[in-house]
Amino acid sequence: MAMAEEQMTRRRWLDMFVKMAAGVAAVALSVPTLVMLIVPAFRREKAPWIRVGHISEFRPNEPKAVTLSYQRRDGWVIRTARTTVYVVVMGDGKVKVLSNICTHASCVVRWERSKQAFFCPCHDGYFAIDGSVKSGPPPRPLDEFQHKIEGGEIFVRLRT
Amino acid sequence: MLRRFLDWLERETGLVSAWNRFWSQPLPATVGWGHIFGALLLLCLVILFVTGGAMMFYYSPTPDQAYPSVQYIEHYLPFGKFIRALHYWAARIIVLLLIVHLVRVFLWGAYKKPRQMIWVSGVLLLLCVIGFGLTGYALPWDQKAYWGTAVRLKIAEGIPLIGHAVANFLRGGEQLGAVTLMRFYVLHVFLLPILVFLLVAWHIRQVHVLGVTPAWVKVGHEGEIPKTQRLHPDHTARIAVGAILLLALLFWLSAKFPAPLEPRANPLDTAYKPHPDFYVLWLHELLKLFPPHLEFVGSFILPSLLVILLLIVPFIERNPERHPLRRLPAVTTGLVILFAIIALNIKGMEALPEPEKLSPLAKRGQELFVELRCYTCHGINGGGGPVGPDLGLGGKRDPKKVEAILRNPGAFNAHTVMPSYDLPPEEMKALVAYIVSIGPNSKMPPIPPVEPEKPPSHFEENWFANHKFEVRKDPASCGDCHKPFFCQACHQNRRPSSHDEQWLKFHFGNAAEQPAMCNACHTPDYCEECHKLMRHDTKWLKGHGNQLVKFGELKKWSDLTMHQLCYHCHTKQSCDECHKGALPESHKAPDFLQRHGELAGAWAQGAKTNQLAQNTAVRKTSHQVCVTCHTKQFCDNCHIGTKPKSHEQPDFVLGRGTRDGGQVKSGHAREALKKGLQSCQTCHKQEFCSNCHGTEMPHPQNFVSIHVREARKDMALCQRCHTWNEPECRQCHSKRPPSHTPDFRQTHPQRISDGGISCQVCHGRNACMDCHKLPMPHPRDFVKTHGELAKQKGIKGKDSVQQLQRQLCSTCHADRYCRLCHLPATSQR
Ligand code: HEM
Ligand code: HEM
Ligand code: HEM
Ligand code: HEM
Ligand code: FES
Repeated sequence: MAMAEEQMTRRRWLDMFVKMAAGVAAVALSVPTLVMLIVPAFRREKAPWIRVGHISEFRPNEPKAVTLSYQRRDGWVIRTARTTVYVVVMGDGKVKVLSNICTHASCVVRWERSKQAFFCPCHDGYFAIDGSVKSGPPPRPLDEFQHKIEGGEIFVRLRT
Repeated sequence: MLRRFLDWLERETGLVSAWNRFWSQPLPATVGWGHIFGALLLLCLVILFVTGGAMMFYYSPTPDQAYPSVQYIEHYLPFGKFIRALHYWAARIIVLLLIVHLVRVFLWGAYKKPRQMIWVSGVLLLLCVIGFGLTGYALPWDQKAYWGTAVRLKIAEGIPLIGHAVANFLRGGEQLGAVTLMRFYVLHVFLLPILVFLLVAWHIRQVHVLGVTPAWVKVGHEGEIPKTQRLHPDHTARIAVGAILLLALLFWLSAKFPAPLEPRANPLDTAYKPHPDFYVLWLHELLKLFPPHLEFVGSFILPSLLVILLLIVPFIERNPERHPLRRLPAVTTGLVILFAIIALNIKGMEALPEPEKLSPLAKRGQELFVELRCYTCHGINGGGGPVGPDLGLGGKRDPKKVEAILRNPGAFNAHTVMPSYDLPPEEMKALVAYIVSIGPNSKMPPIPPVEPEKPPSHFEENWFANHKFEVRKDPASCGDCHKPFFCQACHQNRRPSSHDEQWLKFHFGNAAEQPAMCNACHTPDYCEECHKLMRHDTKWLKGHGNQLVKFGELKKWSDLTMHQLCYHCHTKQSCDECHKGALPESHKAPDFLQRHGELAGAWAQGAKTNQLAQNTAVRKTSHQVCVTCHTKQFCDNCHIGTKPKSHEQPDFVLGRGTRDGGQVKSGHAREALKKGLQSCQTCHKQEFCSNCHGTEMPHPQNFVSIHVREARKDMALCQRCHTWNEPECRQCHSKRPPSHTPDFRQTHPQRISDGGISCQVCHGRNACMDCHKLPMPHPRDFVKTHGELAKQKGIKGKDSVQQLQRQLCSTCHADRYCRLCHLPATSQR
C-alpha cells in the first residue's frame, strides 16, 4: 500500500513536471513568434520629413510648385514616389505648404499669377493664396501639409 | 464549462478517451533514454513548422523581393532574426537527430516484423527532410542560395539521359531564376509539409498500434518483457528532459549565432565560390572519387543505391534476433556504411577552407571596410560592387602599396574612380592590415542594410553602368539619399560626356531646365563661383572689361581669349554694337597703325599704362591683348603677306652652319636673343618654337640639370642645333666622368644602358667602331651572320678564321668562347 502511494506521488510529480515542461516550451516558442507577427501590425511609423528647398528659393506672394520625390517603404518593397506641393510665402513671411489637389473632385490646381489665385480647371474653382476657397464648388480650403524650417531649409511631412 | 465541452466532445467523437488512451499507453520495461529521439524529432518539426510558418507571413518568393523580405524579417521585425535563426538551427539539428534516431532503431532491431513499414515511412521522412533542406537553401536568395543551388542543379545535369530533364523540371526552364524560386518555395512550404504531415501521422500511428519494440528479444517473443510503464508520465518525463535540453541548445545557438545572410544573389558574379553545408559534404567528397565522366556514379547512382538499400533493410535482414551481437553481419554492414559516410564528411570538412582568423587589428579593419563602404565597389571573392577589382583576387598585397593606394589612388591610375581615403593613422593601419590579410578564401563581411534602403533600380543588372539613365529621368531622386560628394567621389575624375569642350557654352540652357541635374553632382554655390563675377547687374556694363580680366585670372583659362568667354552667350556683333564706334583710347592716336606692333609688345611687357597688360593671363603673348576684340584673321589681313624684315634673311630658319666658337647661330635665334623673346611672341605662341625644336625652347633655366634626361629621349633633337664636341659641352664633359672607374674598359659593356647614346656625347658616333671594328653592340642577327665576317672584312686564306679571331673577336672573347657552340671536330660524329 505504501509502495503504491509512493508511486502515486512520483507519478503526480512527473505529471506536473511534464506539463510544466510542455508549458515552458509552448511559451518559449510562441512568444517570439507571436510578437513577430503581431507587434509590427501596430507599429506607427511617423511620416518622414522631406526637404522641399531653401527658403530663399521662394518669393513672397508667389506660390511655387515643387515636385518632391521620395522613397516610400511598403514592407520590404521600396518605391520612389512623387508629389507636387505649392510653397507659399505669405506677405508677412509666414510659410504654408499646400497640396495641389482640388478639394472638390481631386483635379490638379495651378497658380494663376494674373488672377492671384489657385485655379482648378475642372469646375472653375478658385482658391486664395492662403488656400481658402474664393469661388466655385470646392467645399473646403486646399489641404495644408505640416512643415518645419531648419536652417533656412523647408521640410514637409506629406501624411498628416 | 470546459468539463461540459469535453463531455460533449467525447459523446460526439470519442476524441477525449482516444487522447487519454494514447497517453496512458503501456510501454515495455526496457523503454529508456534511447527512445526519446523520435519525440525530439517531432519537436524539431514543430519548431520548423512554427518558425517557418511565421516567416511565411513575410517572406516573398520572387527574386526581386526574396532577399529584401528576408532582410526585412531580420532587421525590422522584433524577434525576426531570432525566429529565422531558430529555423536555421533546427533544420541543422534535425539532421543530426535523424541520424541518432535511425542508428538507435537500427541497433534495437526495431524494424523487424511486424514493424517493417515504420522503418519504410521513416526513410521516406528522411528523404523529405533532405528535400526541405535542399529547397530551403535556395529561399533567402543570397549569393550562397543562388550559387549553391546552381552547383546542385549542375550535378543533377550530370546524370546521364535524364539529367537535363530533371534539372529543367526543378528549375522550371533552362534558367535558374524566378520560376525556380517559386517551385522551391511551393515544395518547401506546401508539398513537403503535407507529405511530412501524412508520413509522421502514419509513422506514429504504427508505433502506437504495434507498440514500441522491447529490447533484445527475438521476433515473436515480445510478450516476454512486461509492460511496466506508461507513456505518460513515465516516458514523457524523459522526453521533457530531452526537449528542454534541445530547446535550450537551439535557443542558445539561435541567440548567439544568427543565420547567415550573404549579399544578395548576383547571377553575374562568377567570382563567388559556394561551400556546401556540413551534412552534404560527404556527397561532395563522394563525387570527387570519380573521374568527371563518371561523376554521375557518385552523384546519382551511389546515393540512389543507398536509399534503396535503406528502404529494403527490413526485407533483407530477416534474422529473427534483435540483439546487435547476435546479428553481427547486418550491424557491421550498417556501421561500416555509417562510418564511411562520417569519414568522408570529415575529409570534406578538412578540405573546407579555414575560416578566416583575423587579428584584432584586422578585425577593426574589417569593420572599417564596411563602415567606409568599400564594398560598394570591391567584392571579396564575390559580393560587392562591380567597379573596383575583387580584392580576393590578386594575391598577397604589399601593405605599403595598399596604404599608398588608399591615400591617393590617383597616383596609380590617373583616371581611377576610387576616392582617396585619408584616415587617421590607427584606422589606416587597421584597414591596411585587413586588406593585406584578404586571401582567396576570405569572405565578404556581412553588410548591414543602409538607410534609406536602396531602391529596386539599384539591384537591376548593370545598374552601375546604367545609373546615368536613371539620373536623367529624375535627378532629384538621387539627391534624396546621396550627397553631392557621393557622385563626386567618382565624377571628379570622370566628367559626364555632356561636359565636353562646348559644354560651357550650352550649360546655361540645361541648368535652367533641370537645375536638379547639376545639383546631383555640384553644390548649389558651385555656380556662384563663376557667376558672382559674371553677374550682369546694372553696374556691369561700366566695369565689364576689368571684370573679364579678373575672371581670366581666377580661372587661369589662358587658352581662352577673354571675349570668347562672352561669346558663350553673346555674338561678336553684340560687342561690336558698342565697340565699333568706341575705339579704345590708344587706337585714336594718329600714328597708331604704324606703332601698333611696338605698342602690343610694350603692353605685353607690362607697361604700367595699360591695365590689361598687367594681367598675367594676358602677358603670355602680346597679341592676346589684341584678340580681346580682334580675331587672329584680323591681323592676318595685313600680316600674312608682310613678314617682318628680319624674317627674310636667308639663314633665318636654318643656318646651323654659321656657328663658330660658341657664337650664334641661325638667324631666328640671333634675332630672338637680340630683341628678346617677347618680340617673337607678338605673333607666335610659345609652342611655335617647340613645333620644330621638339622640346621647350628656349631651354628652360634648369636645363643643364635635366639635359641628360632630355637627351636620352631623343638625341636627334639635340643634334638639330648642336654638334658633339661643342665647346659648351666640353666645359663639363672634358673631365673623365665618375662612371668611368679604372675597370671601365672591361665592364663598360654591362654598364651601357642607353644603347651607347651617352657615349657619343664625348666619343662621337664612331667611338665603338674605333676599337671594336664592328658595329657594337652586335646587331640582333649577329649569331646567324658572323660566319660571313671574314668575307666581309676581306680576310682570305686558310687560317682566315684564326686571323679574324685575332683581329676582332679576341678584343672581348677568349678562344674557348667559340666552343660554346662549335664543338671541336673530334667530338663530332
Ligand atoms: C524539416 C523541415 C524543414 C527544414 C529542414 C527546413 C530547412 C530550411 C532551410 C535550410 C532554410 C534556409 C534558411 C537560411 O539559410 O536562411 C529554410 C528557409 C525557410 N523555410 Fe524551412 N525548413 C523546414 C520546414 C519548413 C516549414 C514546415 C516551413 C513552413 C511551412 C518552412 C518555411 C521556410 C521559409 C518561409 C523559409 C525562408 C526564410 C529564410 O530563408 O530564412 N520551412 N528552411
Ligand atoms: C522526422 C522524422 C521522424 C520522426 C518525427 C520520427 C518519430 C518517431 C517516434 C516519435 C517514434 C517512437 C519513439 C522512438 O522510438 O523514438 C519512432 C519510432 C520509430 N522510428 Fe521514427 N521518426 C522519424 C524518422 C525515422 C527514420 C528516418 C527512421 C528509419 C529509417 C525511423 C524508424 C523508426 C522505427 C523503426 C521506429 C520504431 C521504434 C521502436 O519500435 O522501438 N524513423 N519514430
Ligand atoms: C575604404 C574603402 C576601400 C578600400 C580599402 C579599397 C582598397 C583598394 C585596393 C587595395 C586596391 C588595389 C587593388 C589591387 O591591388 O588589386 C583598390 C583599387 C581600386 N579601387 Fe578601391 N578601395 C576602397 C574603396 C573604393 C571605392 C569606394 C571605389 C569606387 C568608387 C573604389 C574603386 C577602385 C578601383 C576602380 C580600383 C582599381 C584600381 C585603379 O583604378 O587604380 N575603391 N582599392
Ligand atoms: C548621385 C550621384 C551620381 C550621379 C548624379 C551620376 C551621374 C552620372 C551620369 C549622368 C553619367 C553619364 C555620364 C556620361 O554620359 O558619360 C554617369 C556615368 C558614370 N558614373 Fe556616375 N553618377 C553618380 C554617382 C557615381 C558614383 C558614386 C560612381 C562611382 C562609384 C559613378 C561612376 C560612374 C561611371 C564609371 C560612369 C561611366 C559609366 C559608363 O561608362 O557608362 N557615378 N554618372
Ligand atoms: S475638381 Fe476642382 S473644382 Fe471641381
